[in-house]
This record gives sequence, structure tokens and C-alpha cells, in this order.
Amino acid sequence: MLGILKALRTTVSHLPRKPLTVQYPEVREELPERSRGLFKVVVDVTTEEARCRACTLCETNCPVQVIRVDYRNKYDLPAVDQAALARDRLAEQGAVDLSPLRPIIDGHLESGTGLNAVLQRVQDAYGYLPRAALQQLSLETGTSLSQIYGTASFSDRFRLAPPAAHIISVCRGTTCYAAGAPLVAQALREALGIDADGTTADGFVTLQSVDCLGVCGPAPVVRVDDRVHVAMTPERAHALVQELRVAEGVT
Amino acid sequence: MSERADRIEAAFAHVFHPSMVSAREGEQEVRVCAATTCAGSGAGAVRDAFRDELTRRGLQQEWRVVETGCRGSCDQGPIVSVEPAGVFYPRVSPASVPRIVAETLVGGRPVEDLLYRHPDTGRPVARAADVPFLLGQRRLVLALAGRIDPASIDDAIAHERYRAFVEALIADEPDDVIDAVEESGLRTRVGDPGSVGSRWRRALDGTHDERFVVCTADEGDPGAFADRTVLESDPHAVIEGMLLAAFAIGARHGVVRVRRDHAAAGERLRGALVECRERGLLGRDILGAGLSFDIEIDAAERMLVCADETALIASLEGRRAVPRIRPPAPTEAGFRGRPTVVSDAVAYAAVPWIVRNGAAAYAAAGLHEHTGTRVFSLSGQVRNGGVVEVPAGTSLRRVVEDIGGGARPGRRLKAVQIGGPLGVCLPATALEAPIDDLAAGSSSLVVLDDRTCMVDLARHLLSISQREGCGTCVPCRLGTKRSLEILERIVDGRGRDGDMELLAELGTYCSQGTLCVLGGNASNPVLGTLRDFADEYEAHITERRCPAGVCRALITYSIDPEACTGCTLCAQRCPAAVISGREGQPHVIDVSGCTKCDICRQVCPDGAVRVRSGVSQAVAPGTA
Repeated sequence: MLGILKALRTTVSHLPRKPLTVQYPEVREELPERSRGLFKVVVDVTTEEARCRACTLCETNCPVQVIRVDYRNKYDLPAVDQAALARDRLAEQGAVDLSPLRPIIDGHLESGTGLNAVLQRVQDAYGYLPRAALQQLSLETGTSLSQIYGTASFSDRFRLAPPAAHIISVCRGTTCYAAGAPLVAQALREALGIDADGTTADGFVTLQSVDCLGVCGPAPVVRVDDRVHVAMTPERAHALVQELRVAEGVT
Repeated sequence: MSERADRIEAAFAHVFHPSMVSAREGEQEVRVCAATTCAGSGAGAVRDAFRDELTRRGLQQEWRVVETGCRGSCDQGPIVSVEPAGVFYPRVSPASVPRIVAETLVGGRPVEDLLYRHPDTGRPVARAADVPFLLGQRRLVLALAGRIDPASIDDAIAHERYRAFVEALIADEPDDVIDAVEESGLRTRVGDPGSVGSRWRRALDGTHDERFVVCTADEGDPGAFADRTVLESDPHAVIEGMLLAAFAIGARHGVVRVRRDHAAAGERLRGALVECRERGLLGRDILGAGLSFDIEIDAAERMLVCADETALIASLEGRRAVPRIRPPAPTEAGFRGRPTVVSDAVAYAAVPWIVRNGAAAYAAAGLHEHTGTRVFSLSGQVRNGGVVEVPAGTSLRRVVEDIGGGARPGRRLKAVQIGGPLGVCLPATALEAPIDDLAAGSSSLVVLDDRTCMVDLARHLLSISQREGCGTCVPCRLGTKRSLEILERIVDGRGRDGDMELLAELGTYCSQGTLCVLGGNASNPVLGTLRDFADEYEAHITERRCPAGVCRALITYSIDPEACTGCTLCAQRCPAAVISGREGQPHVIDVSGCTKCDICRQVCPDGAVRVRSGVSQAVAPGTA
């Protein structure tokens, strides 16, 4: 409670101040004529110490690789119990059967196929990427969990949580777009009662966009679970959701 | 013949099992296209119907039913051809199979009413070779697509696959292979599009002995399916091309990136690789010639940023697909830090043809100063979509209008979108340009008609690049996001004066200040439409009007009381139940509750539902 009040005090103290950011590109700050911008480490006025934590993120991400972080740790921080953290996160997802993982990891160790392909197979097996499976993968392949997580979270095609009972994917390719896919997507959203891509409140259907399926002749196309429906119309979209509901006994 | 030549020939003879060949020239067979698009329109049922009907008539010995790869004209699927006569049937259904068997297979004459009809004359066209879609093409890379069973290595070898590789092994002059590929002018679509041969030569200059051959069939941009078609229809062409590359640069490992969604292509390639290993065309000491090479498949979901070579390599290595600064180029330090040659599947599939027929023959296939052929996937609002291979230098108009048949009946060709989100949109007035100058990095050609709003199209294409960008370079990460917000504002009817100038400025910065192919080209659709379709932007911003009637915030639906016959169909189908009217009387849409779902316009048998846009064109009042 005291902590919340303290934080609130900071928030309130900032309220009367003007924002420090400007809405580029509508508003622009006047820069000196020959300004190229300079990066420097910000010094905290209260402690007179650098605010940099030497997290090395800037070093990793600099596109032209001109940043080098050279640091010594001057604080004596208590070590975080990583094992306990991992256990807690694992517990959130309940029991995951690791046996479907066996052939995937064996195949990977044998042929050395890339991590993207392995994660794809894990998702095919589980419907998403369970943390337990990723930990096991990391343990057996020697690839760090952070790298696996980095690759998995890079694109929206990997799911880190279980999906709904059905997945409806609307093709977002240009051909389907020109043939009326946006109208179909809108109709699906209306029929499912959701505003944007996502899962219905009852966990019945996940609506998502999918990259061009390459079935460009009979556009627009919609994939329901593994079946591709071609030449879709808004009307057929309504009917499709109805069929799914009937098949499932959901009204 | 030298001793080496004898040994290799003897080993190769061992590879080939002539008895397994299913498609000998001149033999009686029914070819059913089993590629993705035809399979999606029911080719499997047609194949079963043929097998059943032939068994019922006791003809299964005389006639074979072969599942082939793609014939190219995907909009006409499922496609069946009867050989050796070459009778071509589009859109075959299982119900018409007994008639085809009775009249064509047994009777030897075509079933007139099932034949393809010439779009201009309306006359039936019996032979595949005379179909206009196939007439204008020059098929070198796709020569065997649709003619052989892609699941059989013996079929492929019977059609001279691996001959170029065997001859190169016998000659034992890797430099000659590189020379041939370099002189042929063969180009790749990956990365900075450029000469395949010069990349091979640069890879040889590296200091490392270990080198890699990488093939990508990722085709990140929507509307592109040329690589998929090659892999599905003639996987051995790609494998042979990679073998020749390995022989030329001395590589031991190859990787093929295939899209997971293209399951059929992946399966075909996987099967072909297994056969090659069993027969000794891949693995250690191939054909006893001392070359060791193997290929692995990396199946992943599509990523647009993998249009950049360095991003593709990062992804193959299991890292995030983030491009890096060059130098060093991938030919110097690529996959696992070793010299790597990267090309698309279509480019590899062309290599065997070049090595066998000579660089000059390939170069001569192009028109004027252009060399070779180009493979495109044609789709969108066009009469005949599919996979097209034409001489390089062919004009865009020829591909879209002669081969594709132009816009669909009653519609007007408005623009052609080339090369996906990183490509350009050309107005219908600018189609004379040679096609390969425009679509260097992609195979996709999407035809757009007058029902497309170019502003919304730019928004759509930019939204793909924005979502797919890796976020490394600030001009791309922020620039595409802010540009997208401005475009969303415009299509939502909230455009402001000066938005067009802002878009142009942000787009220019983005293309100048980024590392990779994606960032450098993400603004192309916006800048191109700003230039060629400025009037549409102005209509959206100043008049709050969408000329194409697409942008939902700017359109209203109404029923023309003159044309409405009061059939009640629209009122029955309207999901929002805002259409009212008595039977036989003109109906009315209550605009306040209308969700603009377009169903009423689609179901109206009389075309009475109108889409209007802008204050200048008042919505028809129409009282019941």
C-alpha cells in the first residue's frame, strides 16, 4: 500500500509538467544545422552516477556495431534464484507431456535442422510452444533458453499459450485482399462477436490472419483448422461460423 | 572414354531403374495435375474416379493414371490431359470422368463440351499446346512441370535429369560450370538481385575450405508461388542445380528453406532427397567421383524479412531473422561464418539446363539485351492466373493481357502490383516496360481492377512490411509505423492537408536509412501510388471520398428503387437486419445500422444495390 502511494506521488508530481516528447513527424524540434546527434550516458543528478546498467542491449542492437560496453560490476547484488523462477513459470502452464518432443529432438540432433524448423514441429505437436518443452529443448541441444525464446517471439506465427478449439485464418495476401478478404474478415469478426483478431471470450475460436497460402486462383481463401475454403464471401463466412457452432454444440 | 568417365557412367547406370519409369513418351496415360491449387479444387477425387472407371472397364493395364506437377494454368483446375494425343480438359469433375474415359480414351475423340473454350472465339480448344495461356510461354525451367511424376526419380532421369551433373563430373572442370552460369546471365531473386555465376566465383575466393549452398523457396511476399511450383513439379531440377553448385564451389552441405504452409512442396522435396540418398546421388563420394554433398530441409513459417540474404542466414542458423551490415557479404562469411551461395529454387532449377545446353542458348532465350527466361506467378483479378515462364524482356502487357487474358469480364484493368509489399504498383498505362526490370526480387504479379482502392492497397502492403520488419533500424521501425498510421487516418476519412508530403518524406527517409532489402523497399508501394495515383489520395483527403468505393468509412450502401424488383433476397440475408420493404416493392437500407458487409450487393440478382461515396454524390433517398 505504501509503495503504491509512493509511486502515485511520483505520477502526480509529473502531471503539471509539459511532456518531454514531441509528436514526430507532425511536430519537429529545431536542431542545429550540422547536428548529427550524439549519444552519451545520462547521469542521474541526485546520485551523480551514470544511469547505464551495462545491460549491453545497445551493444547488441546497434545496426552499425559502433557501441562497445566495457564494465565492471560495482554493486554486490544478491544472486537471483533462477531455478526457483523457472519452476514458478513452469507451474503456470500445468503438466505438459514431454513424450511428443522425443522424436523432434532426436531428429534435430541427427540432421541438425535449424531451430525455426524444430520450433515449428513442436508447435505442430502441441498446438503452441509450452515452456516445459522449450526448457527441455534448451537442455538437450545446448541452445540457451533466451535464444530459443528470442526466435520464438520474433514472429507472430509462434504461440506461447494454448490456442482455442478452432483456428480460423484469413489470408492476408494481396490477391485475396483484392478479391475481398477484408470484407470476409469483417464478417467473421461480426459473426464471432470480436473486434479484432484474437480469441472469442468462450475460447471457442481464434481468428487470425495468415500469410499468403499460395492458393491464389480461387481467392479469397480462409483456412479453418487444416481445411482451406476457397472463393469465400461475407455470407459464407457467417455460414462457416454457424456450421462450426452447430458441429460443436455451441449456440 | 577415360577410366573416370566409365566409372561414373557405370555408377549412374546403376542409379536408374528403367522398369520403374511411369511416363515414357508415346505411352497411353492420363495426367492429373496434383499440385496445390488443383488439389484444392478436387484433383484427388478426379484421380480416384479415373482409377475406378479404368478398373471397372478392365483398362488399368493399358492406361496409367499419373499425378503430375503443375501445368501452370491454376485457375482452370483440376486439369487433366490425355496422352499421347495431348487432349486438355480444364475444371474436370468426377462426374465427367466416365464420359472422358468412354469417348477420349476408348473412342479416341475429345468430349467437345468439356474442352477448354477460347476466351475470344468461344471455340473449343482440344490440345494443351493451343491454349492461349500456354501459347505465349517459353518453358525452360518448367519444361518438365506437368509432364512427369514428381514423386519418381526414374521419371526424372528418363527425362534427362542428372545428365548435366554426370557430364560435369566426367569433365571434372568446376571452373567451366561457373563460367557457363556466369556467361548465361542467370540471375537470382534473393537479396540484392544479381548474377548467380559471379556469386559462385566470389565464394571460391574465400579463405575457408568449407562452403555452403543455400536454396530458398521461402517466397515471403504474398502472391508468389514460383519456387513452390518448381519444388512440387520437378524437385530433381532443384537438387541437380544444387549438386552442380556444390561441384562448382566445392561445398559439402546444402540447406533448402521451404515454407511450412507449402506442405506438398516440402513432402515432394523430402521424398526426392530420400530417393537421391538411396540411389547414391547424395551423400558420400557421389557416383565414385569424389564429391560428397548432402542437402537438409529447413521448414519454417514464411518471413518477409528473409528476402534479405543475411536475415535468411540468421534464421537458418536458428537466430532471429535480423539482417546485418555488409561487408562481409554472405559469399565471404555466410552460413555458420563460411562462404555461402544463396539463390532461389527457380534459379537452381535453371542451372542444369544451362550446363547442358550452353550459356549462349540460355542467354539467347531472352528478348533484346535481356538473357534467359523469368518465372512469374500471375494472380488477382485476371482471367487466367497461374505460373508463367516467359523470355526475359517480355513486356508486362504481353504477360497480363495475352497470357493472362486481361481483366475479368466487365471490369477494367487498373494496375498491376509487382513484387509484393517490397515491389511497385504500375498503372495500366505503363505496362510496356520489360517485366524483369520491374520485378527483380519477386515472382508475384497481382492484377488489380477498378474495384481496388489504391490508397487502401498502399495501406495493406505497408501493413505487411511494418509487421514483418525486424525493428533494427530506426527509420524503418518508426517510419513504417508512422506512415501506416497516416494511411489508416486517410482511409478512415480523417486525412489532413500535408499528409501526402509527410508520407513522401517518411518513405524517402526509410528507403535511404536502412540496412536491408525490406527497409529499403518497404516504402515503394506508398511512393509509387503517391506518384501515379495522386488523385485518389486527394479525393480521400480533401473530398472525403473513395473513388473505388472500398474504404468503409467513406462509403454508403443504398438500393436503386428503379432497379429493385422487391425479391426480398437482400432483406433475408442482411446480418444486421436493416433492410426493409414489402415483397414486390423497392427495398430500403437503414444506413444508420448498416455494417457495410457487402452481402446485399453480392446477392442482389438485379444489381440494384449501389455503393456511393462522397458528399457530392448524395445517397439515393428512396422511401418505401
